[in-house]
Amino acid sequence: MLRTSIRSVRALGSRPAAAVAGRQWQASAARRAVVSGQRFYAKPLVDEAKLPAAETLTAPATPPPPPPQTTPAATITPEQAPLTPPAPGPAVVPPPPPPVAPIVPKKKGFFRRLRNFLLKLVLLGVLGFGGGVWYSRINDNFHDFFTQYIPYGEEAVLYLEELDFRKRFPNVTNRVTGRRADTASEQVSIPAQSGASWRVADGDHAGRQSSGVAQKVVAAKDAVKDTVKDIVKPEPAAVTKAKKETAALPKVEAKDAALEKKAKGVEEKKEEVAVIPSAATSSKPKEFRAPDVNEPSVWPPASPIDPLSVPHADDAIVQQLVHMLNDIITVINYDGAADKYSQTIWKAKDEVSKVGERILSIKSAAEEEAAKQVKARIDSFDKHANDLVSRLEAIMLAQEQQWRQEFEAEVERLKHNYDDKIKLIQEREQKLSEQKLQNKLLEQAVELQRQFSRDIKKHVEEEREGRLGRIESLSRAVSELEKLTTGLNEVVDTNLRTQQLHVAVEAVRASLEDAHHPRPFIKELVALKEIAADDPVVDAAIASIHPSAYQRGISTSAELIDRFRRVAAEVRKASLLPEDAGVASHASSYLLSKVMFKKQGLAAGDDVESILTRTQTFLEEGDLDNAAREMNTLGGWAKTLSRDWLSEVRKVLEVQQALDSYSGPDRLSNSYSDTSARSDFT
Amino acid sequence: MADTAPATPTSPTSRAVSRPVSEALLNEKWDRCFSNLIIKSSLGLGFGVVFSVLLFKRRAWPAFVGVGFGAGRAYEECNSSLKQAAKEIRKQA
Repeated sequence: MLRTSIRSVRALGSRPAAAVAGRQWQASAARRAVVSGQRFYAKPLVDEAKLPAAETLTAPATPPPPPPQTTPAATITPEQAPLTPPAPGPAVVPPPPPPVAPIVPKKKGFFRRLRNFLLKLVLLGVLGFGGGVWYSRINDNFHDFFTQYIPYGEEAVLYLEELDFRKRFPNVTNRVTGRRADTASEQVSIPAQSGASWRVADGDHAGRQSSGVAQKVVAAKDAVKDTVKDIVKPEPAAVTKAKKETAALPKVEAKDAALEKKAKGVEEKKEEVAVIPSAATSSKPKEFRAPDVNEPSVWPPASPIDPLSVPHADDAIVQQLVHMLNDIITVINYDGAADKYSQTIWKAKDEVSKVGERILSIKSAAEEEAAKQVKARIDSFDKHANDLVSRLEAIMLAQEQQWRQEFEAEVERLKHNYDDKIKLIQEREQKLSEQKLQNKLLEQAVELQRQFSRDIKKHVEEEREGRLGRIESLSRAVSELEKLTTGLNEVVDTNLRTQQLHVAVEAVRASLEDAHHPRPFIKELVALKEIAADDPVVDAAIASIHPSAYQRGISTSAELIDRFRRVAAEVRKASLLPEDAGVASHASSYLLSKVMFKKQGLAAGDDVESILTRTQTFLEEGDLDNAAREMNTLGGWAKTLSRDWLSEVRKVLEVQQALDSYSGPDRLSNSYSDTSARSDFT
Repeated sequence: MADTAPATPTSPTSRAVSRPVSEALLNEKWDRCFSNLIIKSSLGLGFGVVFSVLLFKRRAWPAFVGVGFGAGRAYEECNSSLKQAAKEIRKQA
């Protein structure tokens, strides 16, 4: 046992490739070992089990097999081998080499494997994340996906992008980032007084004035006001008026509208200030907060110049001017240089308003002028139009008169012409009629002469004809006498022929009636035709007989009746058939016809049974004609079945009729009368 | 129906026998129908028997079905021939 194991181990050791193979066989080998009861490998080497790192990967799920460290041949020492417990059965077959090889120690492998696994996981994760970041910078779709679904992916990508951006544009990035940092960190604070604001004209603003001045102003307030008001007296009215107008013209003052509204209260005062800059400071002492005693005295700031407004500033030029000036004023106001420019601006304002007024006056003057001109022009036009109308009327009247005269003259002339023509035509016609009359007279004369000559000729001829005619009539009488003699011979001949004909016809009839069976009577007919010798009546009669009748003969009445019985039986079978009969209806008709009642004599009715009964009755009476007529009224299958019988009957009838037609007494008497007529002629 | 055979005249004449006499038209049709019925039915029966032996373990019904098929076929043919004849008659009229 021992030896075998060692040997097998050695054999393994000599071939390191076997270790690999052994690993592959590990599971099966272990199972086999269990089956065969070779558990002796498992126990003693449990503590020494050592798992190579590679083993974990190949078979992580395998239960730790009996772990003697036999895989690497070198690790097996001779001391280890005997530690294996003896096999339970001494007769155990020496174990195959593979079971030895796969037994790998794996005891402490778990943590190691875990560590390895985690390490790889982290490595893989980092690699994957890095790759994702890198790829997301290349592919847009992937970028979206990555930033959306991978945690921290967006941050990483953004960071990288920013890095890249900064590398590419160091200046720009600095500036951008710097500014961004500023805006992010600090709030932009705008000073209260900065920017355009309505407060420029506010009293608050005006309040910042030195108290010294203010006190002075308070003291001198009344006096100043009196003096100033005298000077500016006309001004405030004008200014207020202008204010109202500017309010009505928001288009002009659109830009300054807000300013104006707010400044309404102070407007008047400001005007005064504009007029007398020196007094301006003293005009609003109340608002100006005087500096305290410890503060240095301050000049009150000059009040801002108010914007200009012009009454009746409809004109575009004036509007533009006012606009411009107001812009300048606004600028000056904002600039705080009101006191510096107020004089100039005031002048300019004055000028502008003057210009506006002048333009207004010019406009009104021009309008008046234009109205006057228009009126004068309209008057002159009216006059001209009246003149024109009266002149036109006169001309038309004159023309009309002229035309009428011409028309009458023309009518006269035409009348004359026509009269002439009519006269001429009348004359010619008269001549023509006279000529015609003369011609007629001439013709009549000629005719009369001709008639006369003809009459004479006729008389002569008549005289001659009378004699010749007598001779001719004589000769005719002689010839007729000759004819009469020959006619007598003919009469005798005809008599003979008629007799022969009669005999022939009788022969045919005899042959027909005599026969018990149908037989051809063609010979008799031929004889009859020869005897008749082109007699049209006989010819027609023979032609009317069907060829098959005299070739085969016709059936006798007994035969006909016999056949009719058979036909009637068949017809009865089909007597109850509907229009479009199939097998079922045929069968039912056949069956039902068996149980039908038979009729007798001349039964009335249109049905097949009564028709058959009537036909039979006629046949028994010998009335073939009526029997055929009755049968002919049948229809459908009944008619089809009785077709042959009917044709047979017809043939018989035809022959009978033909024989009757030329054997009847009238026919004979006819031939006699023919001859007698001839004899009469003689 | 076949009892009234084509009615030949009692005496031997020179009548052409190629065309049947008109009263025998219907009977002739019936004769054809019956012969057809017999032939078709027996054919169907034969097929039915063969099938029953070969496929259906000698059951009775295939034979009946075959007979039914044959008879039905014969019936249908007879029906159509009769209707055709009726149509022709109507056309002639």
